[in-house]
Amino acid sequence: MRLLERLWGQKPSRKSDKKKGTSNYPYAVTRVRAMKSKLLPKESYPRLLNMGIDEITRFIQESEYKNDVDELAMKYSGGDLAEHALNRNLALTYDKLVRITLGELNYLVVAYLKRYDVWNIKTFLRGKIYNASVEDILESLIAAGEFTYTSMSELAAKATYQEIIEALKYSEYYPLLQKFDGTNLAYIENELDKMYYTGLFEAIGKPRSKDRKLFAQVVRLEVDVKNLINLFRLKKAGVQQLDEIMPLMIEGGLELEPEKLAPLPYEEFVNELQRTQYWDAISGVTGQDITSLITLESRLIRYYLESSTILSHVSPISVVPILDYIIHKNNEVTNLRIIFRGKETGLSDELIKDQLVVI
Amino acid sequence: MVDGATAGLFLDAAGMKALGAAIAISVTGYASAIAEKDIGTAAIGAMAENEGLFGKGLILTVIPETIVIFGLVVALLINQ
Repeated sequence: MRLLERLWGQKPSRKSDKKKGTSNYPYAVTRVRAMKSKLLPKESYPRLLNMGIDEITRFIQESEYKNDVDELAMKYSGGDLAEHALNRNLALTYDKLVRITLGELNYLVVAYLKRYDVWNIKTFLRGKIYNASVEDILESLIAAGEFTYTSMSELAAKATYQEIIEALKYSEYYPLLQKFDGTNLAYIENELDKMYYTGLFEAIGKPRSKDRKLFAQVVRLEVDVKNLINLFRLKKAGVQQLDEIMPLMIEGGLELEPEKLAPLPYEEFVNELQRTQYWDAISGVTGQDITSLITLESRLIRYYLESSTILSHVSPISVVPILDYIIHKNNEVTNLRIIFRGKETGLSDELIKDQLVVI
Repeated sequence: MVDGATAGLFLDAAGMKALGAAIAISVTGYASAIAEKDIGTAAIGAMAENEGLFGKGLILTVIPETIVIFGLVVALLINQ
């Protein structure tokens, strides 16, 4: 259809004020699928759990992270080396996604990856409030969003959080960051998250095409999973006040209605969840007597990852497979980090295994 | 052979045959180009990550070539 429209000299039918140009869906999607096939298979995790830290670093060095470990081996060692290598690899991978996509696809990927800008701003604020060293802050930065690593290193080197906020004067986060007074970190962090999701939903717009609808569905599923995890934590901590819970909820979920679930006591809250699609994933770990939410959280995240893979097959030539790769890659990096940080602090293998989300 | 005076200047049978063959070749050629464009870029994308996919990519890329071969066959049949 587009071809005919172009021949007749008309603009493509998707009306939008944003100039998006033509996208290269087949190229980007196939390349990303090939990249996904290179993620660590699930069989490698039990092997990793049996290794020591040096062996894990070696294992990482022999995998897709080779270049990153080689590059950073001069500066760091042990757990720090692995941490930096993972962050660098994640940033480079996402940067590659931005480079290989064009037009509308690129626009959506960039909008999704803005979460790392929010992540980095949070890291700056936290680091400066607790007087972390510049190295410690640099270790936690992921240059996958719009900020480059160099510009972030400059920001990290600034002495106080006021200077950092001043340096971000021309970013979209400035009006919100101005409200930061050194004591309301939790509020600012929540608001940054909400701002990110509002921006992302704006970028998706009112979905008309099938792939946009699926993209919106995956993002809304993610919002639901985040809200659900938060609700469980709050319920376990005994919080039941609506006005305490609602500021922590993100709007735009798929199926959950936080304002209905928030005031319920734990038992009724769990009963209410039985009607949702999440019940299959979490039934059996929601009893009143459970002490740890770790299993529940990892099951919810696994459900989210699996759902995004299923949705990526529904519309094969769309942005969803790329989104699916982004979250799976992030999950792999998180898993590796859990393993070597857990090993470093001497946690038992069982405990580490519970934390992993292996697909 | 139709009489030129009754059929008009442009309805010459040999000319129409040639036009038919030209349409058969050009339209099918255009169609396979469109099909190969997407498959080719996808194959390049896969190859960029994994060079071992060269063979498979090449085969999949030339499959729509059959469309233009059918066009060629039709063009030859018209001109017989």
